[in-house]
Amino acid sequence: MERIVVTRDVMEDPAGPPPPGPRPYTNPYLAGVGLGLVLLAAFVLVGRGLGASGAFNSLVAWLTSLVAPDYAKDNPFLGNYLNGDDHPLKAWLVFELVGVAIGALVSGLLARRVVRTIERGPRISIAGRLALAFLGGALMAFGAAIARGCTSGQALTGGAMLNLGSWVFMLALFAGAYATAWFLRKEWR
Amino acid sequence: MMAPFYKLGAFGDETALLIAFLVGIGFGFFLERAGFGSARKLVAQFYLRDLAVFKVMFSAIVTAMLGLTYLAWAGYLDLSLVYLVPTFWVAQLVGGLLLGIGFVVGGYCPGTSIAATATGRFDGLVYVAGFAVGTLGFAIASPLFDGLLGAGELGPTTLPQALGVPYGVIVFAVVVLAVAGFAGATWIERKMAARDAAAVTR
Amino acid sequence: MSPSEFVSTSHHPLADGHAWGWEIAVYLFLGGFTAGLLVLSGLARRRGPRATGEPGFALASSGLSIVGLGAISLGMLALFLDLAHKPFVWRLYVTMEPRSPMSWGAWILLLVYPVLLTGIALDPPRALRDRVPALARLARYAEDERVRRGLGLASIAAGLALGVYTGILLSALGARPLWSSGLLGPLFLVSGLSTGAAFAHMASPLAEERHRLARLDNLLIAVELALIALYLIGLASSTEAHAEAAKLLLGGPYTAVFWVVVVGVGLVAPLAIQALTVAGRIAPTHVAPVLVLIGGIVLRFVLVFAGQASHWSRL
Repeated sequence: MERIVVTRDVMEDPAGPPPPGPRPYTNPYLAGVGLGLVLLAAFVLVGRGLGASGAFNSLVAWLTSLVAPDYAKDNPFLGNYLNGDDHPLKAWLVFELVGVAIGALVSGLLARRVVRTIERGPRISIAGRLALAFLGGALMAFGAAIARGCTSGQALTGGAMLNLGSWVFMLALFAGAYATAWFLRKEWR
Repeated sequence: MMAPFYKLGAFGDETALLIAFLVGIGFGFFLERAGFGSARKLVAQFYLRDLAVFKVMFSAIVTAMLGLTYLAWAGYLDLSLVYLVPTFWVAQLVGGLLLGIGFVVGGYCPGTSIAATATGRFDGLVYVAGFAVGTLGFAIASPLFDGLLGAGELGPTTLPQALGVPYGVIVFAVVVLAVAGFAGATWIERKMAARDAAAVTR
Repeated sequence: MSPSEFVSTSHHPLADGHAWGWEIAVYLFLGGFTAGLLVLSGLARRRGPRATGEPGFALASSGLSIVGLGAISLGMLALFLDLAHKPFVWRLYVTMEPRSPMSWGAWILLLVYPVLLTGIALDPPRALRDRVPALARLARYAEDERVRRGLGLASIAAGLALGVYTGILLSALGARPLWSSGLLGPLFLVSGLSTGAAFAHMASPLAEERHRLARLDNLLIAVELALIALYLIGLASSTEAHAEAAKLLLGGPYTAVFWVVVVGVGLVAPLAIQALTVAGRIAPTHVAPVLVLIGGIVLRFVLVFAGQASHWSRL
């Protein structure tokens, strides 16, 4: 028996053609109409829209309840996600977000856009970009908790339902983002 | 009146979760199609180089809004049964500002960070971790935010109700605004592209 | 209570009111996974290198044996954590009780460990070979055709025994309607083979072998989907207790996690992705195998927990 060669070969799988680069993104209006129809399907089928931040709340509530069950239940924020006998992860938004990951993955694979990479501006270091990504995530967690939703749950869903609070939220979001953009222009451009 | 199916008892909680998964697949698919798995593409909106965020978001809002309006008008869907997040306008204003700041700092929003992570973006995963830690931080600090969370409470309110204008008028106005916005966005993109090109040749 | 619980089905844990938790689910997953690795590497050993000059075949390398050794040991640790009478574990080896599944499991392990250790000894990792000169001498036997084919046969036998065993353990131990189906054994065996193939697919350094394993895994996933369908149809069309049990997965409290995570994320999604990969439509990634592994472990969790929620009669 031959010895096993452990060097990783660079040969492509035999049936595969030489890999072309990533394909261009879909026309934004087309993608938007698709997104709108998905949102409409959610309205019609279950009577609620899309969301994302709520799933993170369920996840954090569950993880906290594993470490400190009493604290998590009594916490005014996390407690909202722990009532009932069901598992905290058995929530509409958690299942929706699992679907988001699969849907995005399939779309990305079909367009050859699944790449292990770090998205960053031309001048920022990797560590700097990751620190900002973490910080931005943490900031948005506060924002989403205060606003009772994020870009998906408030702006998109509430926007389509002509929800007063969602339109206030949306205008504030764009205002906050444009105001911040100037300060971070070196990080992105 | 047939819809919303779940609220009218056509299927149970477990099936609703199954539908959540399927709807999520569609959501994630179109987010990625639009390029929202990439922080650079998303943030370009705020540097006016690529206004896809605005275009996609408002195409989606207009599509879903027109669909809702038609289905409710045709007597097919009971709009009062579709969950409307109650308005707390001060809290939503402050939260929106924070999200806007965080969007440019972090490069994603919660939904798009999942699409980014699923397509291999490590910064998306770090954003997810930041969001989870931030959520825990907010939970720990939540007693401090009691006042802010309840500020500007108006209950579930729609724009037509708040402005005292018929529903159809607002729908029409949103469509007009969106179409004008699309034209304006394309004009801005062209303008900025020309400026960047001029800056390179100079 | 006497320690005889280990050797008699009349005192199995469930009869004592002892609930099975994550430990059993983890053990069933890791046992099935190791069985899959054993069968696949056994087949590869028996077949030998495909062509002269081929750089070797990763399936028969010691890497998979080491992973299998780690997996089955972790699984045994989980099982040990679940045992109510840990100090009496040795008794499993002093008595041979043909009617006790726990005893069977203990003896099958005596077959699994030597096969895995031999696989490692014949192709020791470099660090180990440099330190233990005796191993380097032993590795010479790896070139022997008879040794290679013999080990392959032993590996397949041990793998099948372990796979079938983890498959029928639930039906044998638990008097629960959800588990009393002849299809549960084949389902767990195929799922174990599939997770093994997925891992080998991910770990193999050879593009040709990865391609072959992806195709094999697609076949296994398709068979698994068919088995799940037959299993549920069989339960639903059986006695009232069976139909009630099937309802746990068809509208009851385990429906969403079963259909979304096990079937959707763990079977349909990787099948679609791997089919497109094999067809050359998309670039190969490690995503599909990871999903298969997630689906495999959640399948065990769902069946262990849902099974205990099913009853013969409502009291």
